[in-house]
Amino acid sequence: MTQRRRSILLAIALAWGAMQLAAQESTVYFSVVATKLFVVGAANPRTGVFCQHPSADTAWSHIGPTNIRAFGVAVHPGTRQQVMYIAAGNGLHKSTDGGATWRITTGWRITEVLNVCPDPQDTKTVFLACPYGIFRSTDGCASWVECTRGLGSTFTQWVLVDEAHPHTVYCAAEDGAYISTNRGDSWTRMGLSVGGVRTIVQDPSDPAFLMAGTENNGLYQSTNGGIWWNKCEAGIDHTTFYAIAFDPQHPSTIYAGGYVTGIYKSTDRGVTWKRMNNGLDVLTFHSIAVDPHNSARVYAAAYWGGIFRTDDGAASWRRTGVADSQVWTVVIHP
Amino acid sequence: MKLLASISLAFLLGVSFVAAQQQSRDEYLKTYEQRARFVVSAFDTMQQARYDVIAARYATGKNVQLADSMFQALLKECRGDMFWMYPVIGAYLHGKDVMSPATRDAVRHAWKTYAPYRGDTENHWAMYYSSLFLAAEQWPGLAGSEWFNGKSSDENLAEARDYLEHWVRIATTIGQGEFDSPDYFPEYAISMSLLADYAQDPAMRQRGNMMLDFLLADFAADQLDGEYIGGFSRIYQPAVFKPLLSGASAYAYLFFGTGEPTQNSWVLLPALGKYRLPDIIFRIATDRSTPYLHKERKRVRNVIRFGTEKNPPVYKQSYVTADYGLGALQGGILQPIQQHTWGVRFVDCRPTSTIFGLHPYWSAYELGMFFPEELKPLIADVTLSKGTYNNPDKWTGGSPYERTFQHNNTLLVLYDIPPGTVTEHIDGFFPGNLDQRNVDSSGWVFCKAGKTFVGWYPLQDYVWMEERETPAQAKNLIGRPENVPPDNIIVNWRLRSHHPQNGYVIEVRSVSEVGSFEKFCAGLASHIPRATLTPGHVSVEYTTLEHHVMRFGFPDSRVLDGNAVDLSTYKLFEGPFLNADVGSQRLVMTYKHQRRVLDFTTLKVTE
Repeated sequence: MTQRRRSILLAIALAWGAMQLAAQESTVYFSVVATKLFVVGAANPRTGVFCQHPSADTAWSHIGPTNIRAFGVAVHPGTRQQVMYIAAGNGLHKSTDGGATWRITTGWRITEVLNVCPDPQDTKTVFLACPYGIFRSTDGCASWVECTRGLGSTFTQWVLVDEAHPHTVYCAAEDGAYISTNRGDSWTRMGLSVGGVRTIVQDPSDPAFLMAGTENNGLYQSTNGGIWWNKCEAGIDHTTFYAIAFDPQHPSTIYAGGYVTGIYKSTDRGVTWKRMNNGLDVLTFHSIAVDPHNSARVYAAAYWGGIFRTDDGAASWRRTGVADSQVWTVVIHP
Repeated sequence: MKLLASISLAFLLGVSFVAAQQQSRDEYLKTYEQRARFVVSAFDTMQQARYDVIAARYATGKNVQLADSMFQALLKECRGDMFWMYPVIGAYLHGKDVMSPATRDAVRHAWKTYAPYRGDTENHWAMYYSSLFLAAEQWPGLAGSEWFNGKSSDENLAEARDYLEHWVRIATTIGQGEFDSPDYFPEYAISMSLLADYAQDPAMRQRGNMMLDFLLADFAADQLDGEYIGGFSRIYQPAVFKPLLSGASAYAYLFFGTGEPTQNSWVLLPALGKYRLPDIIFRIATDRSTPYLHKERKRVRNVIRFGTEKNPPVYKQSYVTADYGLGALQGGILQPIQQHTWGVRFVDCRPTSTIFGLHPYWSAYELGMFFPEELKPLIADVTLSKGTYNNPDKWTGGSPYERTFQHNNTLLVLYDIPPGTVTEHIDGFFPGNLDQRNVDSSGWVFCKAGKTFVGWYPLQDYVWMEERETPAQAKNLIGRPENVPPDNIIVNWRLRSHHPQNGYVIEVRSVSEVGSFEKFCAGLASHIPRATLTPGHVSVEYTTLEHHVMRFGFPDSRVLDGNAVDLSTYKLFEGPFLNADVGSQRLVMTYKHQRRVLDFTTLKVTE
């Protein structure tokens, strides 16, 4: 093999390696509702959605409109990060060009959108949760249908499309947790008999394994798709949980956080929990996301403390941006 | 012959009456123009770069080039959301025919690149959608890429129209949600004024004109010499102490000629506008020759959780004379944070011309009814911008443990505060500049405010606390400094009672009603209420000066002279001046021989 040929092969190998690395590079997005200086109509610091590649770990880039009370952010799977959503006070914003331009897809009747969940298997279908109920679009957000049949309260804060069964949708309402098996056309109450359900998440490796966080009533898990629920007790000293996240690579590892909880971690599928607060100077967390390519890397959205990051599986945390901001949602897109 | 003489006399009387009326109207219009010019004169020569200054300069033609440069400079850094939208479109509409092409381009560019927050309450949406409607009309046929929200001109116009039509419909069927707010009145009036002046769509222009009539008539009936009367959905400090500091009072000055001259920015755009107050509303606002009772039904702001009804009704009653107005909402949580449940306001003893009471209350539950954010941090969130919300000494806010029962110029207020509530005391506000504030051996506290006399009978013991105005109270939190000289700070008084089962009786009369303060005191001294004040059983029975027997049981048992009072029978408006049935979208104004009907179903005005 000539020197020249060896060089070419080396270059090809390096390029391939770089491509593989890039292919595994995640993007982290988080949404800032407000900063401590926020007043409606005033000269407010920049809020909205920020993003970063974890390897860069420098400044966060702002994308999309500012000062819209951005509660949720989501990327539609299967669109190469081109289709993105921001759930906001102004309604549901959508971008089809990777965040370069945005359009409010909802009208005045849908306001204060708290959460958005794209259907992972259908790039035209999106659900959103807001104080006036669950709304669904099946035409790429051109039109919306109110989905409140069967809900006891229309105040909903969370909606989740089942990864394995897209006709199954879960939602968290003021008066409890609901399930729909017909894409939101009607809802029935799940077996979780407490109110103030705040979030419902699904084990990526076992769709029947659900966890729910509640206001004042603790943390729950179900192993049968929400029919029966067990309260997580061992090691839990708090009652209000806004955030739960599975480690996609090791789903026995689960993180949870809420009102003055700090960050809880379980490595035995939610049976026992331990607080992992080293480096945290605030304790209320609203959202957690685990890097799908690196289990040790976790981001946590502090309600009034910015965004925190760990690179050692929560053994230690450091703030990585937007201190004094109310961060509502953090997501990592692979 | 006799018949002919009678006809002639009637004709002459008629002619002279019409002539007198016309003269009176001419006089009103003349003084209105003077007041409008006075307002505008504060802005059209100002050197500071502000949107209101720009609008005034364009409208009056005073140094348009300077206005252009101010406009372009400000548009380089857009901020303020819906509070940016209306002044920008207002300034643009006043100047679009005289501004430079570069300025016109800068305005257009701003509507493409700056994304304002739509807000979370009714006044925000009124400003947002009225401005968006006008902007979409100004720049028709543009694609979504030319607008901040990605929607085309047609889509923006349609959405704005739909919201505005909805708001008008709901306000004229079950009432405004952010009702009778001395501090938020301008946000609605400006929005409607801009539509009335500049909407190209005739129906929307008419809607703007009619809603201005509607808003100003609503205010006129609850207005006394510039002061908003009664219970309010929202009020800031210090307008709660000093009624004429509110934005609404600036409208009273401009349109009614009442109150005190002011050059408040909140009234500038209407002062530049074409709307002229119909004579009948002016009469309603200013004729206080006969005391009257005015009732209204409004609605609670959208209840998004902890409720079964999205917009429960609010029942408001005001009794208005030439000297004072006493008004109340029924009590309970009707609005978050800044509710003013009851108050008496008077024309004498200004600036602090009011007496009122409240239970200082706050809770995440209350906030959660109206705001979607997480419950537990909500109080901390709200106090970032509404610093007094969780202050036990605050002077605004409703309480679920407070209820009222008003009959004309008599008011009963009861409290049943459960143990563990954030505060277990109630407070009463008494201005320091009253002519007299005497504690009588009968238990009554007698107050004299010029020609107005107020009796307050506390049902439990209490203490007096000195209430020196702080800079925070002397300065309006939304940015209207009052400039009180330090040596002119008033020391007011707080009546505080620490009993959770509590209440008081308020009697208000004027010299024209009872003759003198001495007679008022002597008459009331023998009118002692009988109360039951145990947890879960709070009631009072009281016989008024006119011998009406009022029996009031907390929370909602009200009996007058043996007849149960049913608040649910309240109409949208009911009184000598304004009448409207719930759901009717039809407001009938009457004043002596005059009549004006606003029919929002047909967008017709008849007289």
